[in-house]
Amino acid sequence: MNRRDVLRVAGSGSLVGLAGCAGLFETQSAQAPPLPENRPDAVYYPTHYEGMKMPGMKEQGGYRCALTYSYAHRFWLMKPNGITKVEIQSEDSIHLMPVVWETHTGIIPPDINPQLTITQSGDSIDQFAPWPMLSQPMGFHFGDNAQLKGDGTYTVEVSIGGPSTRRTGSLAENQGNASFTFEFEFSESTLNEISYTDIPDDREGTKGAVDLMDMEMLPSSQVPTPDALPGDVRGSGTSGDAKFVVTILEDASRFGGDENQRYLAVSPRTPYNRTLLPMMSLSGTLHRDGTSVFDGILQATIDPELRYHYGATVADVRTGDELTITVDSPPQTARHEGYETAFVDMPDVQVTL
Amino acid sequence: MSDERGIPRREFLKSAIAIGGAAAFSACLGREEVDVPTGPDDLSSYPQRQHAWNEVLPRDDHGNVIAPSHRVLLYLNYRRDGQPNEDDRDQVETALRGIEHAYERSGDGLLLTVSYSPAYFDRFDDSLPDDVDLPDPEALAPFEEPEFDTPDAVVHLASNTAQVVLGAEEALKGNKSTLNGVDQPDAALTDVFSLADRRTGFIGDGLPAENADDAEGVPADKVPEDAPLFMGFKSGFKKNQASEERVTIQSGPFAGGTTQHISKLRLNLNQWYNQDDRWQREAKMFCPYHAENDVVEGTGDNLGTSSKIDDCQPTDETAREMGVIGHSQKSARARDDDDSPLILRRDFDSTDDGAASLHFLALQRRITDFVDTREAMNGTDVTEQSAVGQRNNNGILQYIRTERRGNFLVPSRSLRALPPAQPTGDAQEVTHESS
Ligand code: HEM
Repeated sequence: MNRRDVLRVAGSGSLVGLAGCAGLFETQSAQAPPLPENRPDAVYYPTHYEGMKMPGMKEQGGYRCALTYSYAHRFWLMKPNGITKVEIQSEDSIHLMPVVWETHTGIIPPDINPQLTITQSGDSIDQFAPWPMLSQPMGFHFGDNAQLKGDGTYTVEVSIGGPSTRRTGSLAENQGNASFTFEFEFSESTLNEISYTDIPDDREGTKGAVDLMDMEMLPSSQVPTPDALPGDVRGSGTSGDAKFVVTILEDASRFGGDENQRYLAVSPRTPYNRTLLPMMSLSGTLHRDGTSVFDGILQATIDPELRYHYGATVADVRTGDELTITVDSPPQTARHEGYETAFVDMPDVQVTL
Repeated sequence: MSDERGIPRREFLKSAIAIGGAAAFSACLGREEVDVPTGPDDLSSYPQRQHAWNEVLPRDDHGNVIAPSHRVLLYLNYRRDGQPNEDDRDQVETALRGIEHAYERSGDGLLLTVSYSPAYFDRFDDSLPDDVDLPDPEALAPFEEPEFDTPDAVVHLASNTAQVVLGAEEALKGNKSTLNGVDQPDAALTDVFSLADRRTGFIGDGLPAENADDAEGVPADKVPEDAPLFMGFKSGFKKNQASEERVTIQSGPFAGGTTQHISKLRLNLNQWYNQDDRWQREAKMFCPYHAENDVVEGTGDNLGTSSKIDDCQPTDETAREMGVIGHSQKSARARDDDDSPLILRRDFDSTDDGAASLHFLALQRRITDFVDTREAMNGTDVTEQSAVGQRNNNGILQYIRTERRGNFLVPSRSLRALPPAQPTGDAQEVTHESS
């Protein structure tokens, strides 16, 4: 069933009986049903989820880029004191998502913010830097609603610059710029072929998440399961519905320390889907028998094995050490439905190592 | 242009600048009811610093300089290969004097500078003196890939009167025998130079809102009616600008000159106005402290003579604790020992090519001063250590894209006509026969 059908059938029972809902079905702009009531301060099942299309994939300079899109979406931007809702505007045609990843590792670097330029026969149509975003089916991605001028062929240029988050291991070498150009054949009817799945009333707004989309040719933005993390995994904790896994690596030389030091790595992830949680300010303290042995920031780092994580070099770690992780800023990514109430209020995490 | 009836006067004046040419000029004459005084016969009292504009510009109630509202940048290529000759120098100087005689040097009259690129100076065997820091333009952020402007010269024309800018331009192109009632010399700048590019723009209360319709993707109903710039805030407070003295080259044959960096920045106002809210705009332009405490009213005229950046927390602390940092807060990290900013901003908005953009024109003693300021604005150091992204929550970097960059030397007045790379003698004593 496609989105139109769903809306037409009003398969979402919550809409039935809503005054003026007929208008909602007729206009192209009002594509999002009302939000569930009583959303928990946690990851929850959204009202619906959508598929996406991929008009093309390109490779350049150690990176691959896939251009993908779906229906225009509502989403939320982060503020220190809350969130700002971004409504779909009547001019918005699609939600455009350039997915860029490092060819060797399949890592989608959250720090490399692509720039999009959309033209048609040489005329400028739209240009913007899409937001870093979290969505349940898409995981971490860059995206924003784009305003096209109806059916037709568009040229979409995606350009990326150098990184701004610390990289370690083989990733440290990939510093260059790259740009990818796509011919994008857009039509309203193809857009409407994208799947639109309603989530039953009794489920939407309850704790849980829809699965990550099965995106054949695209890498995922998941971080490793605790078992698969390198080092000695010493525990985990939760905050704001996010899970923080702590692992200790024997040798800190790859991370700016020396081989006699340890590297303390914290790998936060979403519940259910294990999507990475980038763009936080994290700091940590390590207490041993009541005295502080470490107090500093946990620096965001991208490592081929640990993937995206936060870490610090410490002299050593002993069994029974008390680690406190403080979230100085929660993930500053924009949020799609189901993620906007989680990872906002994030108290300290305590882990006994 | 043919049907001018029904276009509000102010509306017309702005698009006239963008269009340019003789027709735009003559149409302006009828619509702008102003009498601009002519310049003096004797120009010898004019300051050596071409960039000494502030003394003749009006000030607002707080004493901030009000930037001239209408602008044209003429990008020029010297027609002759190799070194310039004296005839060409005479021709350039004579043409420039022609427009200076026609319009007085003031905000309502004409302000201009002539500047030269590193590519221009490459034609000389000598290299520029050590006192002049004028490298080729380069990318100034890891995430930008601008094109570089390499024409030989740029003439910057500015006035609060649209017809003055257009008239001066027409005269420099040899299209006017009299200008403002003053006979023009038989010398055109365009005999010596070919026109490589023409960029135009505006700055001043209300002009962006009026121009919003000329550009694709500007939420016209969102740009505040009284804002001087597209992004909605007042800019260029006295205490947040370098003085003209601070940006002046102090020694050597080019003493009295300055360097100029001009970038073309494309703006994305859809995200800025339709997705962000006021809190975010204020936090990202100034700092979260300002947004939190409603420090900025409307466009920010209430701020007085400074952006009150001292009230903001240190940038790195804000980045860690709030996850978002302000443009002004970051940029103010580039100050000298006397706490003065390093650059004097004379930027203006534009709808060139039908896109909302900003010609960021800045003067500084050395191009390095600009590079340092831009580095502070990039905040790359901060993003490595906090939740602030490369663009996301990083001042206004999300909304601007650098399309072009160029570096120029604005020599002192006596050297403004095709200067050599190593001028000899005392610059101050060079005179011109017609003054
Ligand atoms: C769309 C582009 C821009 C807009 C709308 C803008 C706007 C502003 C505003 C509103 C302020 C605070 C008020 C004041 O002027 O004192 C400011 C300060 C400043 N901006 Fe920008 N700006 C832009 C681009 C740039 C660029 C490209 C630079 C170059 C590095 C820059 C450098 C500065 C500096 C140095 C300050 C003053 C910092 C201090 O107080 O020391 N701006 N800008």
